[in-house]
Amino acid sequence: MKLKIGSFPVEQVRFGEVDGYQDGILTIQKEAALAYLRECDDHITELDIIIANPGDDTRIVPVIETIEPRCRTDGRTLFPGVTGPVASAGEGELKALRGCCVTVVGKYWGSFGDGVIDMGGEGARHTHWSKLINICLVGDTDEEFERHEQQKCNHALRWAGHRFAEYLGKIVRELEPLQLEEYDFTPVSEKARQNNGLPNVALVLQPQSQMEIPGYNDLWYGWDLNKFLPTFVSPTEVMDGAMISGSFMPASSKWSTYEMQNFPTIRELFAEDGKHLNFVGVILSMLNVAMDQKERAAMMVVNLAKNLGVDYAIVTEEGYGNPDADYVRCQAVLEQAGIGVVGISNECTGRDGFSQPLMTLDSRLNALVSTGNVSELNHLPPCKTVIGNLEALNRDGMSGSWGYDDKLGKSAREDGSVIMEDNNWFCGDHISGLSLKTMAEF
Amino acid sequence: MVKELEKAGFPVAHMCNLVPVSQSVGANRIVPTISIPYPLGDPSTPPAEQWKLRYHRVGVALEALATNIEQQTIFPVRI
Amino acid sequence: MKTVVCYINQFFAGIGGEEKAYQEPYIQEGCVGPVQAIQAALEDAQVTHTLVCGDNYMGSDTEKAVARILELLEGHVPDLFIAGPAFQAGRYGLACGTICQAVQEKFSIPALTSMHPENPGVEMFRQKVIIFQGGKGAVKMRADVQTMIRFANKLLSGQPNEGAEAEGYFPRGCRHEKFLEDKRENTAAYRGVQMLIRKMHGQPYRTELAIPAPEQVPIAPAVSDLSHAVVAMVTSGGIVPSDNPDRIQSASATRWGRYDISGMERLEAGVFKTIHAGFDPTAANADPNVVVPLDAMRAYEKEGKIGRLHPYFYSTVGTGTTEAEARRMAQEIIPHLVADGVTAVILGST
Repeated sequence: MKLKIGSFPVEQVRFGEVDGYQDGILTIQKEAALAYLRECDDHITELDIIIANPGDDTRIVPVIETIEPRCRTDGRTLFPGVTGPVASAGEGELKALRGCCVTVVGKYWGSFGDGVIDMGGEGARHTHWSKLINICLVGDTDEEFERHEQQKCNHALRWAGHRFAEYLGKIVRELEPLQLEEYDFTPVSEKARQNNGLPNVALVLQPQSQMEIPGYNDLWYGWDLNKFLPTFVSPTEVMDGAMISGSFMPASSKWSTYEMQNFPTIRELFAEDGKHLNFVGVILSMLNVAMDQKERAAMMVVNLAKNLGVDYAIVTEEGYGNPDADYVRCQAVLEQAGIGVVGISNECTGRDGFSQPLMTLDSRLNALVSTGNVSELNHLPPCKTVIGNLEALNRDGMSGSWGYDDKLGKSAREDGSVIMEDNNWFCGDHISGLSLKTMAEF
Repeated sequence: MVKELEKAGFPVAHMCNLVPVSQSVGANRIVPTISIPYPLGDPSTPPAEQWKLRYHRVGVALEALATNIEQQTIFPVRI
Repeated sequence: MKTVVCYINQFFAGIGGEEKAYQEPYIQEGCVGPVQAIQAALEDAQVTHTLVCGDNYMGSDTEKAVARILELLEGHVPDLFIAGPAFQAGRYGLACGTICQAVQEKFSIPALTSMHPENPGVEMFRQKVIIFQGGKGAVKMRADVQTMIRFANKLLSGQPNEGAEAEGYFPRGCRHEKFLEDKRENTAAYRGVQMLIRKMHGQPYRTELAIPAPEQVPIAPAVSDLSHAVVAMVTSGGIVPSDNPDRIQSASATRWGRYDISGMERLEAGVFKTIHAGFDPTAANADPNVVVPLDAMRAYEKEGKIGRLHPYFYSTVGTGTTEAEARRMAQEIIPHLVADGVTAVILGST
């Protein structure tokens, strides 16, 4: 499967009379875009587009999702099974607006899985998003059934974000890209014929799927990953919109849809493909809550790996806590089967740093990359501009903030300053591979 | 928690779904439950079934508390 | 100017060797013996006092020695406390560890010491006290003082701690995150793939998380007669009365609740619910007994299988809760169990 991505670097985003892209400047006809998105979903009651630039003294909260604006040149829907009918992904041509992202923001209400982005100051280093131009889609809906729920599907706003990403991507559909990336995934049996003597490496992905009722989990071609069993897929499918992010899991441990579209660990494996290793694809697993589900998934991953002739694997989980059991178990049984593993995830060592870093431990895990500690405390000064609603930090049960604490007070104070855990940074531990954090003994 | 309670001399039956977690936090008497959101009764089954399962597994936990053990033990459950 | 108080033993104080090892603690203004090297290395701080104590006195009459030293420190509480270096001297190492820990706890100020890796004080105190890796004997005095005081200077001037390895002290099991320079080679994706390639080729690599050996907990003896047992239920599943009166947090909990169940046959939906944010709450809210099995416990109580059920259940939330918090909460719960003569506990986790 060959996937081509044509890049259009975006250096400035502005509003104007006509949609357009020229010399790095993306122009959006705001009212037309908003009218389109409202027309697609009448649950949306309020909607606005606000641009946040790197370095701005701006705090964005509650952040629900980030997506890279893209389109398919053949007219196929950008996220099959989500923004349009189910259709095959993984081959063909995409055009992508680079250096920016659609950032979906709740205008008033947040939920457990939502996060924070600081565009400037000390908080900026905590997320990759502060390096991008955030095209914020800020809105509210009539989804009254979950208005005061801690867990929200955020369906209308998330889907609006995916549609908006495609809408923006279409602006460059007919233009010549400045740069063309190619991801050429050779079929496994073809690789075997080439017999180049390099070890076969698979990437095991454990996307978030812990909610038993539909509407919250990551989707694969629109299918809820809770009702799923490990499958072999092409890495190019992941990058071509087959998977979208969900709304459950503390924000810093999530993979957003942007990260799936650009999955950094997939890119690094492609970079080494044919040099130091044969990248033989992705084993797509999931993260369910019951022990038998975890065991079944681990067994199936190992058997898929064995039957694909995998010699080494990288395992990565979208989450921490309960999902650590899947993450650790999967690696332990792979190692037991003679398949050497590297694991990539974050840790939860507590605010004091002294807690057990993963929820379960197994001494067979001997090569781990750590992307941060979910419980580090952050003291953040006020920002001049807030996109969204700071009160969500106190009120809506976000995973890293609170409305009441005997010693620390509430998370968002009247003067706009904030105290919160790393848990709240939107995808802040960038387990997908973007993370510039590690863990050390102090 | 389980460690502190045992250290204080209380035998503890740890009823949990994620047995490896229980093992790594140092629980000594472990009784498996069926899931995380509903440890002792699957809501998709009739209430009578849920009760049978719950009654059985709590019974196993009580027996575990009265059983002397030499090492970390997972007590088997029938339903 | 910031202030420092140092601790040394009888030998380094120059009052004698073994024959003075039972020397009682005393305090002296300014620097004594090797403390002069510490003073010389300090950038912007003054050693106001030196404490001296015999190693054997500290070792054999620890409680008294510590109490006396803490008393001597009253009125001279510094910004930083430094003991040693103790090199490979076992008794001196234990003394340094003991007094550093006591000073830290009593005055909430940082305390540093330095020892050779084989000093038994390292294993005993490394999790509680910052112990710098030092040489075998006093010939390493200069180097060991330099390493320790480089860090002391940072600490006193508010510069960031670069981590145990970079600073040269023994790891304490205290893990925090660290930011790397923004370049591709430092991304987790690159680190992971390169680590795998090194692992493949049998080349040395460093895991970013070394898995520690599991801790064994002594097994509490079984209850001898279940039919007389008083059993208590504890849950980390966040089951609370519907208004969550103790405001237990739905993740990273620091609070717990104790809820009266006397006279109740089961936990009714609507009266109790879960506030745990780590799982789908639908089932637990519809029937809280699937998390806290009050109905089943009552049945066994009626049958006489157990003596009686403790009239309260205890609840907190397990997700993201630090071990230290969980330990504290358990310690706060224990007296309630003891007071009612509880003999066994069923702990339910979600």
